[in-house]
Amino acid sequence: MESMKQKLVGIVGAKNVLDSQEILESFSKDQSFAVPMMPLLVVKPENAAQVQELVKWANETKTPLVPVSSGAPHFKGDTVPSVPESVIVDLSGMNKIISINRQQRMVVIEPGVTYEQLQPALAKEGMTLSTSLRPKANKSVVTSVLEVEPRLNCLHQFNYTEPIRCTEVTYGDGNQIFTGEAGNGAKDLEKQWEQEKWQVHSNGPQMVDMLRVVIQAQGSMGIVTWASFKCELLPTIKKMYIVPAKKSTDLEDFAYKVIWSRFGDKLYMMNRAYLANLLGESSDKIADLKEELPNWVAAVGISGDIMLPEMKVSGQEKDIAEIAKLAGLKFLSAIPGATGEEVLSKSINPSGEKYWKQTKKGAFQDIFFITTLDKTSKFIDAMYELAIEAGYPTEDIGIYIQPQHMGTSVHLEFNLPYDPDNTKEVKKVKGLYEKASREMSKLGGYYARPYDIWAGIQLNKDAQSYEILKKMKNIFDPNNIMNTGKLTLK
Amino acid sequence: MALSREIYQALEAIVGKRNISDNIGVLETYRSIPAQGSAHYGPSEHWTPLPQAVILPATTDEVKNVTRICNKYGIEFKASTTFWSTMGYIGGDYAIQIDLRRMKSVEIDVKNMTAIVEPFAIGATVQAEAMKVGLNLNIPGVGCSASTLANFSSWIAFGPNSISMGQGSENILGMEWVLPSGEVMRTGSLGSGDGWFCGEGPGPSQRGLLRGIFGNAGSTGVCTKMAVRLHPWPGPTSLPTRGSAPAYKMDDLGDNFKCYTLCYPSWEAWARSIQYFYECDVVYSGHRQFNMFGRDLKAYMLKIITNPDGQLADLETLSQDPYLQKQNENMKFEYQIIIAGYTKRDMEYKEKAVEYVLEQTGGWKNEMMLEKDMHDYALLYLTRMGHKNLNFVMCGAYEGTFGLSGNVWKAIQVAEEAAARKKYWEQNHTHIAATGGESAMGSLSGIGGGGATGWEFFVNFDAYDKESIRGTYEFINGNQELHNKYGFGPDFCRWNSDVRHMNGYNYTQEEHDAMFVNAPQPWVYAYQYKIREALNPNNLCGTYLRTVDPSKLEK
Repeated sequence: MESMKQKLVGIVGAKNVLDSQEILESFSKDQSFAVPMMPLLVVKPENAAQVQELVKWANETKTPLVPVSSGAPHFKGDTVPSVPESVIVDLSGMNKIISINRQQRMVVIEPGVTYEQLQPALAKEGMTLSTSLRPKANKSVVTSVLEVEPRLNCLHQFNYTEPIRCTEVTYGDGNQIFTGEAGNGAKDLEKQWEQEKWQVHSNGPQMVDMLRVVIQAQGSMGIVTWASFKCELLPTIKKMYIVPAKKSTDLEDFAYKVIWSRFGDKLYMMNRAYLANLLGESSDKIADLKEELPNWVAAVGISGDIMLPEMKVSGQEKDIAEIAKLAGLKFLSAIPGATGEEVLSKSINPSGEKYWKQTKKGAFQDIFFITTLDKTSKFIDAMYELAIEAGYPTEDIGIYIQPQHMGTSVHLEFNLPYDPDNTKEVKKVKGLYEKASREMSKLGGYYARPYDIWAGIQLNKDAQSYEILKKMKNIFDPNNIMNTGKLTLK
Repeated sequence: MALSREIYQALEAIVGKRNISDNIGVLETYRSIPAQGSAHYGPSEHWTPLPQAVILPATTDEVKNVTRICNKYGIEFKASTTFWSTMGYIGGDYAIQIDLRRMKSVEIDVKNMTAIVEPFAIGATVQAEAMKVGLNLNIPGVGCSASTLANFSSWIAFGPNSISMGQGSENILGMEWVLPSGEVMRTGSLGSGDGWFCGEGPGPSQRGLLRGIFGNAGSTGVCTKMAVRLHPWPGPTSLPTRGSAPAYKMDDLGDNFKCYTLCYPSWEAWARSIQYFYECDVVYSGHRQFNMFGRDLKAYMLKIITNPDGQLADLETLSQDPYLQKQNENMKFEYQIIIAGYTKRDMEYKEKAVEYVLEQTGGWKNEMMLEKDMHDYALLYLTRMGHKNLNFVMCGAYEGTFGLSGNVWKAIQVAEEAAARKKYWEQNHTHIAATGGESAMGSLSGIGGGGATGWEFFVNFDAYDKESIRGTYEFINGNQELHNKYGFGPDFCRWNSDVRHMNGYNYTQEEHDAMFVNAPQPWVYAYQYKIREALNPNNLCGTYLRTVDPSKLEK
């Protein structure tokens, strides 16, 4: 142990090798139902060279590494070691914004950069980066996008992996390359910039898409040490409208038509409980909001930037209102309990110190997967039935439908708040989570991001994918040192 | 070595007697001249090798069984569909050609804007089916007569619509893919039977092993079915046309479609306008199309190709016309766009936005291209991409060179130097057509939303004249110096020169090792080697997958 520590001190420096009980415990568990496991050490590399050295060392010593970039708390089990004697690679200290290029609308950042840090820096250059819904304040932007957390602007999601473009990756075998177009040039960003190459194109470098090896991988294939992102222009006008509805199905035709027309820059749907949780700053306020809010809403954002913004926004306001009218719906700037402005602000700005999903009861469990919009209602009906069976209050189930990849699929999320100090409730939610996860899969829910028990559920349905996945693991991490045990890979 | 009777009969048992042949007359039609339309292979007396048999499977199961036979007996195979280029042909002697023309279904999921296509569903067919239900697809520059599935799986696949629809890679959803080993891989949600809607995951995206910035060019088995994302089409259920062949025009598509040729006073203004369009979601299609005829000839050629009786012989007369001379000069720095409105207000906004860009950049709309026939011709051309014959009209063959892909601001720094170099060759050698030097054509953006252009200079030559091929080859070889000077990497038309010998045969591993071991990031090629070892252990699909034996790097 001591010699191991000394070796790591040699790589990252004494101050960056941590072994206090408190720190190790903080990485041994998260807010999910994942089984806790104490890591051996925590190391905090400061640059890509150190990361590569760490991975090479781990290969020599067959030590499992668990990369972590976002700050605590964590919620999906992916940062909790699955095997003993793992070393946590805490990348939160690698938090440099390496380059911002307004001409190309590109930014290059390290994995420890958070939205709170990034958005103001981009705003100074007249840009912004698309976000997932109300991210954690200390959420790593790189992790959020690598793990394909759904973005609010599906119409700009030309590629499934948007807005990430190129990366620097140290794969599990210790080799380090640039992915995307950056992989075809010198392995030196400065030199690439001298040639006016700005890491714009995500595919490749050649006939294999090396970025796709590390997306949705929970750190099981390699460690990303910088990533480039395509930014949006900072809107000069931004508005959010709300379309209330009694049932989720009432919103389907409206949403399909808005997507087809390519109007708006944000579109998502959520039920009363989810919206109340998003907006409410306390459990009392959430309860009040649930009394006022409609059963379901679609939130539609419209923005204008440099190109005739007033004309664009006013035209789309009228056009989308007409689409709503044809669907028998109202297109409103405010509803009882919420204004569009509030919904927008809460959607795009990072959560406060406490993550917003914890506000209602202190803890929560999500179940999310991919399907198509027209199939969402069957999952929702099934979820309610399962909740009734489990004795979980259906009115507490938050539901979020986020169209993605230009609307060809949706992220469907069920949010189950619970009181972590109430043993009975914890047990109930755990049981519901496990059963519902299996049932959703049986109904055709696709766990593209297979965290925790979903990996087993998903891969048990798809033996061929599991075989290919094992081959991938063997190519990029032959000694199985990267987040060992995740994705059920051995 | 010929296929044994035993093997032939095993293959015949899979597809039936009518769908396999080893008749020499049939086999000869499945060969390509590596120089055909591809001067980068250089003057060559060789055709690609003669296949031992040609086989036409009709189902994924049949393809799977064919590849298993190939594995068992170590037979190289290559699948192709519309056979646009040499990359679809085999590169060894003990090999069979798989022709997928019997697999051609198209199914459309209207609500979720998706088409599930088989290999021989060509762009025109998919588009026609999609338009019936208000949808459209990205048809790449190769044109609508080429296979959608092959474009998306096996090459780059960007075209005029890519700015609003994305390129091939971005539009792929679930795929069914027969690996060289005979295993069937179904990507994303398809693998677990959940549907075609997502092509990624579960977990790390396995499709990454099959397609990068280029497709796999048939080097990793056979894609047998694919879901592709479709896009809105605010037009009628079929394309209305008028006129006579070959000069059909779009006939009254509606007021919500406009095609403009936008012109600028300088390359700088031209690039600035493109950047505006990258930032405003206004353009439905964007292409610099007609400059493929060359800076000096495009206005005259447009008059010829829009006239059903027009001939190349008219060039001389037309080139004396002062009006056309003025148009030619007026269109020096230009490109074409289509704007499409989803509502009247949307169209009004897009029209104003185009005016705004022109005001900001000092640009204008070319008046000749606003003439009804010209407008309607260009609108049909860019919407359908059905005029690929025109690529060949000058001399019978063409090749793209310079490859100014990527950053538009960088491309314009090179454009005039490249034009001058080409003009010098046009005037001092007889090998390439004299069209005015600058002949850059291509997509406003090669990726969805803009950000990376895809331009090439068209070079017209005679593929049946060895001296013309030789001269073109020398010209193109020299262009690489310009590429090196500006850090552009390989010239566009040399992208394939490292995957097949000039005589049509595959490279050996040792040859590939020597080529790529000193690449700026050689592990890219070493990983491709490892992937081939995992998915194609018997190395049966030619050498289009560039590889380096990792042991060469580990040393």
